[in-house]
Amino acid sequence: MKLYDYELSGNCYKVRLMLTILGLEYEARLVDFYPGREHKSDAFIRLNPLGQLPILEDGNLILRDAQAILTYLAVRYDKSGSWYPVSEPQRLGEVAQWLAFSQEITSTAGAARLHDTLFYKLDVETARSRAHTLFRILDEHLWFAEAGNQNWICPGNTPTIADISCFPYVILSEEGGVSRQDYPAIRRWCDRLKRLPGFVGMPGVFPATPAPTGNQSR
Amino acid sequence: MNIDPNRWYPIASSSDLPLRHVFHGQLWGRELAVWRADDGFVNVWENRYLHRGVRLSIGLNEGRELRCIYHGWRYANRTAGCTYIPAHPADAPARTICNNTYSSVEAHGLVWSALDPLDPFEAPLGLADAQSFALRPVPVNAAPAVVVAHARDYLFSPDGIDAQDAQVSLISDDGTCIEMTASRGDLAATLLLFVQPVDAGRSILRGVLTQNPDAPMAVLRHHSQAMSALRDRIETIAQQQAAPAPLEVTFAPVDEELAKMPARAGSGPKAELRVRVARKREVALDVAEFQLEALTGQLPTFQPGAHIDVHLPNGLTRQYSLINAPGETDRYTIAVKRDAHSRGGSNCLHDDVHEGDVLATSAARNNFPLRRDALKTILIAGGIGITPMLAMAQTLRVQHLPFELHCFAQSQDHLGFEHILTGFGTAMTPHLGLRPDDTRARLQQILRRRGEAEHAYICGPGPMLEAARAIAAQQGWPDTSVHFEYFKNANTIDDTSSFEIALARSAITLQVPAGRTILEVLHENGIDAPSSCEQGACGTCLATVIEGEPDHQDVYLSQSERERGDRILTCVSRAKSGRLVLDI
Repeated sequence: MKLYDYELSGNCYKVRLMLTILGLEYEARLVDFYPGREHKSDAFIRLNPLGQLPILEDGNLILRDAQAILTYLAVRYDKSGSWYPVSEPQRLGEVAQWLAFSQEITSTAGAARLHDTLFYKLDVETARSRAHTLFRILDEHLWFAEAGNQNWICPGNTPTIADISCFPYVILSEEGGVSRQDYPAIRRWCDRLKRLPGFVGMPGVFPATPAPTGNQSR
Repeated sequence: MNIDPNRWYPIASSSDLPLRHVFHGQLWGRELAVWRADDGFVNVWENRYLHRGVRLSIGLNEGRELRCIYHGWRYANRTAGCTYIPAHPADAPARTICNNTYSSVEAHGLVWSALDPLDPFEAPLGLADAQSFALRPVPVNAAPAVVVAHARDYLFSPDGIDAQDAQVSLISDDGTCIEMTASRGDLAATLLLFVQPVDAGRSILRGVLTQNPDAPMAVLRHHSQAMSALRDRIETIAQQQAAPAPLEVTFAPVDEELAKMPARAGSGPKAELRVRVARKREVALDVAEFQLEALTGQLPTFQPGAHIDVHLPNGLTRQYSLINAPGETDRYTIAVKRDAHSRGGSNCLHDDVHEGDVLATSAARNNFPLRRDALKTILIAGGIGITPMLAMAQTLRVQHLPFELHCFAQSQDHLGFEHILTGFGTAMTPHLGLRPDDTRARLQQILRRRGEAEHAYICGPGPMLEAARAIAAQQGWPDTSVHFEYFKNANTIDDTSSFEIALARSAITLQVPAGRTILEVLHENGIDAPSSCEQGACGTCLATVIEGEPDHQDVYLSQSERERGDRILTCVSRAKSGRLVLDI
């Protein structure tokens, strides 16, 4: 498997997280996203006409879009079947709902971060304000999940690709000037996610301490 | 709403503080890092490390210590004092390195704090003797006074079922806490709604019901939605006004003691603390454990290997190692062996000091610091020399650092400390009832060869330490990797020399005659110099030698430290040269 990868990209980080959590070997093809804009080069546009990262090559398959890649990896390689619960229509619907929500986080909190760190020109105040609106929704959702003894975004005892997909641009939000101080339930969920076996960080993502005992994940 | 530094406010819910998490809070513009230690204590600290100003809220809650994500400095539960600096692994951090803390009380499902409380926390009247059921807090981007004004119009139902016919009435409003009831028919619920002042333009609504509801989830959802709706109304109004500038927070400048060289401690063994014997019990044959609690305030920070001076009712002063595990910061725990040849110290503690008695002690001082960067640590204890090893082994265990603990004792009963030792599992090996030759053979095995980056710490009776010192040297251990703590200095002190000492910093030259120590001469001439055991064992009176050749008679310095000749224990050691220049 080959991942077209950029170290500072939250969308590439989603895929790296899933690959390492599933224990999969892969080759990273590093792309000069900034300042080289290699993702807009002719060669790259032939791979992905949208000119976006990440891209996964697996055999003959060339797949773009982080959410699509997460779906593929989970269904194809997750022997437990828990990361993308194909046999549970209700949970699957919720996974799809939160995958779409994660795209919203990318286009708001992620955009503010591009503005602040890679000098993208965009309306950063609007991006931040919309990110806060989304975080309020996610925090309330996670607070009630905890109140019902649930640890993850979708109901059930195990995390899904919805957690992986929402995590990167949440945990990197402060790089775009979006504080998570007002979202304590999101901050606790981030700690739990960092404790998953196989978790890896990236620049700007710090580790969490292990839970005190094996069964106390929160 | 004016800043009221004296008033207690709720700043977090209890449920915000699971173990091994750091909560990010704020009160009157001051950011707070709030974390629950494994023993349940809730720490409320200023959200900024002393070192480089990094936020504590991104630190790692390790259960007993908080570790800075940036340079790895560790800070203790309760005291907020620094316990370890990875860049200086062989040194005990200065006692003055301590994060700023705020008062903290956990009650009624909430954590309460005040910037500068005048009075101890008292539950608001509506909560005293009531059940309490904390609701989901809702942050509001509006000034606290604006939020309070509109919170009076908060509408809710007693059972979580949305209905227009609920009667809501205001009971009281003190400008921060609004008490109201909702009723419908026979149903009624009382709510205390607190407005936490986060900053000039930010607040948090924190509600507590005075009774557990029949349908908790429905009630929680009802209030979350109703409070979110209130928040939206308030924010719409607040947006029409100019947003207030954030409160300017001034940080206390770094303590002068930290900014300059620490002041020299006063002379002699210290007795700055008053402690009460909270518990006394036998933990091994002829060994009594004393748990000492502060009469007032917080006991100062300690690290593994630290000792305290204990001033006894019979006028003697003795040094005892703390056996506390990291984070056990609500007491100092020492263990004292009854010594048949006691000069009166251990007998006095065993026979005359009882639970409830008050003793004077020094703050913890560490002349036997534990590195946390060794690939493996070998701890060797002879008899009651186990005491500093208990603190060290407990530290290494909770940090998941590899160690071996070897305990030499006459018998299982003499070994004792079962309540602590069982926690070490196979890392602890008892060596019971051995004669000196067998002890030597065991030490030879234990110190067989030194692996990479291994360190050994040894505490026990003099002959055993001398044997261990010789064996370690034979087996190729560098003496920077073998650390000793002696109970006492059994050397016969030769005090027949007389010489001159020049004190470089004080610009005084003094004569040390035969029969007097450097330390005594310093004290007689009004020069403050700290000391503790005053027999060349503990290291407290260590001074730097600028010029001249010391005549070392202590058991604290290692062979290579002696050979360097740049330090001296002033309580026993003297000069071979006619003159010593000291950095005093």
